[in-house]
This record gives sequence, structure tokens and C-alpha cells, in this order.
Amino acid sequence: MNPVIPGPVPVPLPAPPGLLEFLLVLTFTLHLLAMDFLLGGVIILTVSGYLGRRDSRHVELTRRVSRALPPVTAFAITLGVAPLLFLQLVYGQLFYTSSVLMAWYWLAVVFLVLLGYYGVYWYHLQHDVLGPKGPGVILVAAVLFSLVAFIFTQNSAAMLHPQDFYSRFMNGQVGKIFGPVPLLNLARLAHFVVAAVALAGLGIALLSSRWRTDSPELADWARRYGVTWFMGATLVQFLVGLWFLFSLPAEVRQALVGEKLAMGLLIFGILAALLALLTAPMSLGAASVAVLGTVCAMAVLRHLVRLAYLRPYFDPHSLPVQGQWVVFSIFVALLLAGLATVGWMLYAFYRPAANRSRVSV
Amino acid sequence: MNYPVWEPFILGGGLVIGIIATLHVFISHFAVGGGLFLALTERKAYRDHNSALLEYVKFHSKFFVLVTLVLGAVSGVGVWWGISLVNPEATATLIHVFVWGWAIEWVFFIVEIAAAFIYYYGWDRLDAKTHLRVGWIYFGAAWASLLVINGILTFMLTPGRWLQTQTFASAFFNPGMLPSLVVRTAVCITLAGVYALITSCAVRDVSLRVAVVPYAAKWLLLGALVIPFAGIWYISTLPPMAREISMGGAPAVTMLAGFSIFFSALVMVFTYFGALQRPRQFNLAFALLIAVLALFTTAVTEWVREGVRKPYVIYGYMYSNGLRLADVERVRGEGVLKSARWVRHHNLDPQDLQSAGQEIYRVQCASCHTVDGYNSIRLAVKGWSWAMIDYQLDHLSSLKGFMPAFVGTDAERQALGAWLASLNPPPASISIEPEAAALDIRSRDAIGKGAPQP
Repeated sequence: MNPVIPGPVPVPLPAPPGLLEFLLVLTFTLHLLAMDFLLGGVIILTVSGYLGRRDSRHVELTRRVSRALPPVTAFAITLGVAPLLFLQLVYGQLFYTSSVLMAWYWLAVVFLVLLGYYGVYWYHLQHDVLGPKGPGVILVAAVLFSLVAFIFTQNSAAMLHPQDFYSRFMNGQVGKIFGPVPLLNLARLAHFVVAAVALAGLGIALLSSRWRTDSPELADWARRYGVTWFMGATLVQFLVGLWFLFSLPAEVRQALVGEKLAMGLLIFGILAALLALLTAPMSLGAASVAVLGTVCAMAVLRHLVRLAYLRPYFDPHSLPVQGQWVVFSIFVALLLAGLATVGWMLYAFYRPAANRSRVSV
Repeated sequence: MNYPVWEPFILGGGLVIGIIATLHVFISHFAVGGGLFLALTERKAYRDHNSALLEYVKFHSKFFVLVTLVLGAVSGVGVWWGISLVNPEATATLIHVFVWGWAIEWVFFIVEIAAAFIYYYGWDRLDAKTHLRVGWIYFGAAWASLLVINGILTFMLTPGRWLQTQTFASAFFNPGMLPSLVVRTAVCITLAGVYALITSCAVRDVSLRVAVVPYAAKWLLLGALVIPFAGIWYISTLPPMAREISMGGAPAVTMLAGFSIFFSALVMVFTYFGALQRPRQFNLAFALLIAVLALFTTAVTEWVREGVRKPYVIYGYMYSNGLRLADVERVRGEGVLKSARWVRHHNLDPQDLQSAGQEIYRVQCASCHTVDGYNSIRLAVKGWSWAMIDYQLDHLSSLKGFMPAFVGTDAERQALGAWLASLNPPPASISIEPEAAALDIRSRDAIGKGAPQP
């Protein structure tokens, strides 16, 4: 039986699917970096909060890292908007269907993010007041964001199985139908969460370099601490990654193995991760570049996995296109201007203290 | 018809969107107007060498960040989530038409958020000139994001030439875009005043509070004075039927339009006599009362704005149940059950009219109605016979102009009528022979012949 997939919108795509998919993967990668630091960050802070309750270094570390979490949360959300926009544009027929089938869970994401976000703010603003209760607050935030990750992986996996849409619709109540392949989703979730912890570990190590001026000892310790998290999680990731790879359906795995680009990306991603492991204790810069390579490779690979899943059922390149090039050019120009503006503000914010005077009347 | 239909029990899809959207509108307009308030008030503090006022602006900026960056941003995502679950067909259409508009808005969001954080964390790091400049950047980006989303929102009610040209420019620069932008900008200024009234009550220094409370009240009143004039301009661009709906065509919409004016007037009166005339007596409870009234105004006004768009979700292009006008004739010929992808029965079973009727209800009616909750269909047809229901369904668009016509075959309409009639079984003591006989149809012939005809 042919899968039931909603018909396409009778309005042409405003750009070729290739360009839209490029933007989808690019913006998803940016979202991934912020999201990883957030999710991994709250997990590490939870562990730090409980294990290091009597260790002043842990207390200071959680205080300082918590300051970064609200902006990171804001950017994790905002950077997530763009890939979801392009996803809905190209794959809306699949994405809306899978979302509607699990509507209650999908809508819950909004409230979970909201609560987690306020949790992060509460933890940051009341860090010293909360004292021993602080780890509890950040634990709740960690649980909330992990639930968000779980629901996202469920929906991302569900949209790749259009052949199951109708039977799921027939066997459940619209809005309450949760993901199709639990084991696969668990591997997928573990893959994302472990990556988040690794990246956040590296992020904390990078962040600690800014503390060198006022607390060199703390900075040294935090660097080692962050690198330990990074290395530990990356080693675990090799196992989890294998689990994920072998939990993919055989035909999808074979399609990937048979594709040079996919294999090249997989090997590149693994080698870059190994390089990051080797260089992290010595050079955070080198490790960061290597990790960025892994993240980019895996984001593209993820897209190839999606295409492999959907090949029998859906081809975005069959959709009609009528480019809106004028407004696209305005978007590109504004993006460049926007990035320049943000760059200027960051420069003003981080330039050496000697070059700025404080706000006063 | 194209997508599965989610029925969020007593709430209904419309109310799910409405609740999230009201909250979002109430905060997001503050996010724009509040940015202008911060920049201008900070500048005033520098010009007047008023360090106490500057301290107030610092405090207000913390409140501002906590409200707008968290609740404002997440509720905005929530609106998107809501519309894509309740009306995926319309959402998909909007994204196809406006994806680059949304991408541009996303750029403004990035700038807006970066500026908000740097503004907030920058009080102790930036010099006055740079800090103020960051404040202006924030406001510029926030207002630009309003400019974009306003064009998309007004497109849904006044798509204008897009119906013929299908171009981005004609969709964005639609007839309602400019007047609505003026209305919304005025609302932003008003809400900046509403929120500033709340934070002004936290000022401990009495002389400063007595200065800040009327200052905030002036923001509120200035914006509120512009809204009626810009509103009339906006209403003049609406399609005639939308105007009629708000002025008596649909009693509920007309009543809420009246409430909108009433609550707005209360906000202005309370602000004038409470905050502007008696700043010493003005307190947090009073400020919160004004804020709640302003929230009510937002809620009913947004409800009216949505209400006058009926029976469409994109005016003249797509009905509120997701059916395109271009597809009406095809669906009428094929039938709803054959056209809809997400139904359990694609053929009408004369032995089980009510199941088919319920499926047809889901596909055609459930985007606006619930069975027992918001806009309850059970209450709507209470006391109606099947014959009455069938007549109404057959003349839906002429009897109730704010509802889409029933689109389907005669047999499907009668099946829907049978299910609707079954929602309110008549009491046993009342003679129900004509209806009972009609409902008891058990043969295909009877579907055509036995159902009540107008």
C-alpha cells in the first residue's frame, strides 16, 4: 500500500530545494552548537552541583557558567527557528503530519522550554541565595530540556516513516500518537545527549580561559574539568554512535555505506573527533576546530540519512520552484548587516576594560 | 482535508492558538515599545543628569529582559507551534509565500536578542554613548521584526493583489499592511507605558516615583490616543463582509468589538485619573489592574481580528477549515470522504451514517468547533431537528456568512446532519416520529429520499 502523504502546497518553492536544504543544514548546525552547550551545560552543572557541593571550585564554576546559560538558551531557541522554517518549507508534508499525530507532546515542548528557560534564569540570578537547593533547580532544568530533546528526536524520527503514518492514525487518537521506533529513538537521543555533554565540556574549558585574569587557579582547574568531560563523553560517543548506526534500518545503512559522500563524511567526522581527543589536553583551539569539523560532518550526514529514509516516498526535487530572488537578496544583505552589527556590539562588550568607561550620568 | 485533524478536547484549536497568541501579542508589543522606552528614558536620564532615573532604567531593563526574552520569545514559538498543529495547510501556505520574509525576521531576532543581552549585561561594561547606541539597535531590530510579521498577518485578512499575482511583494504590501503597522506601533507605545507603570511602583525614592509614574502614564495615553484613528484607517481597508461581521453581522464578534472599546476606555480613564493625576497614591495593585485590563483589551481585539476573517483563514483563498476555494468544486464532486486523506472510511456506509457524519465533522468543522467545549457544536444544534440541521447545512454560507459552505455530496451532508442530530437525543416523552423515522434510515435509497429536504 502506498503511504498516505498530504499533497504539496500549490504555491511553488521560493528557491531551489538544494539551496533550501543547504540553509536547513547550515542553520541546524548553528542551532546544534548552542543547543549542545545548553543541554550539556545543565547536565554538567547538575553533576557539579551535587558532587561538588562542598568544593568551593565547583560552586564557583557553577556560578560562572550559569551566567552564560540565559543567552545560550535564547540563541538555542532562536537559532532553532531557521532550520525549522526551512524544514517546514521543504518537508512540511511529512513534518506537519508527524507533528499533528503527536500534537499534545509536540505542543508540550513550548511549555517545557519555557519552564526550563526560567529555571536557568532562576539558577543564574539566585545562585548564591539558593545555596544547597541550587543543584535541584538546575536538575529540573536538565530534566525539562532532556524531555524536549526526547520529543524532538521522536518527531524527527516519526517524520521519516511516512509508510507508518496511516496505520498509526488508524490505531490511535490524533494528538496522542507517540513515536514509531522506540529503540532507534533511544539510540538517537543518546547520540545527541552525549554529543551535547562533550561539546559543553569543551565549551566550559574554553569559557574558563576568560577567568584567568582574576582566578588563575580556578581557570586551570576548570579547563581540566571541562576537558575531562569532553574526553569522557567523546569516548562514550564512539560506542553510542555505533549503536545508533546499527540501529538504523538495514536498507538505510546500506544506502549510506554505498554512498561515497556519506562514508567520507562519517570517516572524516570520526577522524576529526579522534584528533580533538588527542589535542584537547594541549590546545583547546585545535580541539575546537576539530570538533567543529565533526559537528559539520555529522549535520550533513544526518541530512543524508534523512534523504536515504525518504527516498522511496518523497523527493523534494520534484516540487515546483519559482525563485523569489529579490527578497532572497534582501535577506542575504540583511543577514550580513545583522552579523556585522552583532559583531560590533560584541566587540564593544568584550574590548579591553582600559578602552571603555562605565555608564554614568 | 489534507492533514490529520487534531481536536484538543474542550479547548478547540482556535482557543489553543488564541490563548498563546494573546499572551504573545501582549508581550511582543511590549518588547518593541519597551525598547523605545528604554532608549528614550536612558537618554533623558543622561540629559537631565538624573542618576536616580538611570537606576530605574537599569531595574526596568532587568524586568524587560525577563519578560520579553523568555516569555515573549517562547510564546512566539508557541504561536507557530499552535498554528502548525491546528491549521497545517494554512501554515504551509504562509511559509511558502513568506519564507524569505520570515528569514529576514529571524535576522532581526538575532540582532534583537544579542542587543538585549548586551544592553542588560552592559550597564557596568559599556560607556554611556555605546550603551545607548545598543539600546537603539535593539529597538530598531525589534520594530523591524514587527514590520515583517505585521505584513504576514495582514496578508491573511487582506491578501489584495496576491490572489492574482502570487508574488511576494503584492502579498507583503497588502492593503492592510500600513494602517495595521501604525496601529501596532501605537499599541507598542501603549504597552511600554503599561509595563513601565508596573516597574515604576517598585521605585522606593518617592520623588522619583512621583516623576516616573506620570511619565509612564504619558507613554500609555499617547499610544492609546493614536490607536482609534489608525484603527479607523485600518478598518477602512477591510473587506466589506469583515466590516459587517464586526458591526452586527456576527453578534459575538460585535459584542467583543464593543468590549475592546470599553476596556480601552477603562485603561485610559484609570491611567489618566490614577497615574497621571494622582501619582502619589498610585500603587502596584492599581498598575496591575491597568495591566489586566490592557490584557483583556488585547485578548478581545485579537479575537475580533481573527473573527472578522471568517469564513476564511486566508481571505478569498482558503477557508478556515483548510479547504482552498479552488478545490471546492472538486471536493463537492468527489465527496469529502473520498477527498480527505485522514478519514477511517472513504465510502459512506448507509448502515453507519453517524460514523461517517462524525468523520465529516472532524474534517470540515473541527478547526473551529468542539463537541462540548469552546464553540460547542452540541449546543449550536440543540433543539434542532435533523431536517432543520440539514437545511442549515445546505444554506450555511448564506445563513451564517462567517461560516464556510458545507462542501460535499448530498449524502455526506445528510450523514453529517444525522450525526449532529444524534448529539442531542430528544427527551423520551416528546413525540419524535418524523426525526426518528429520518434517523432510522437503513438503506442507500433512503439517504437520498428519506432525509428531510428543505
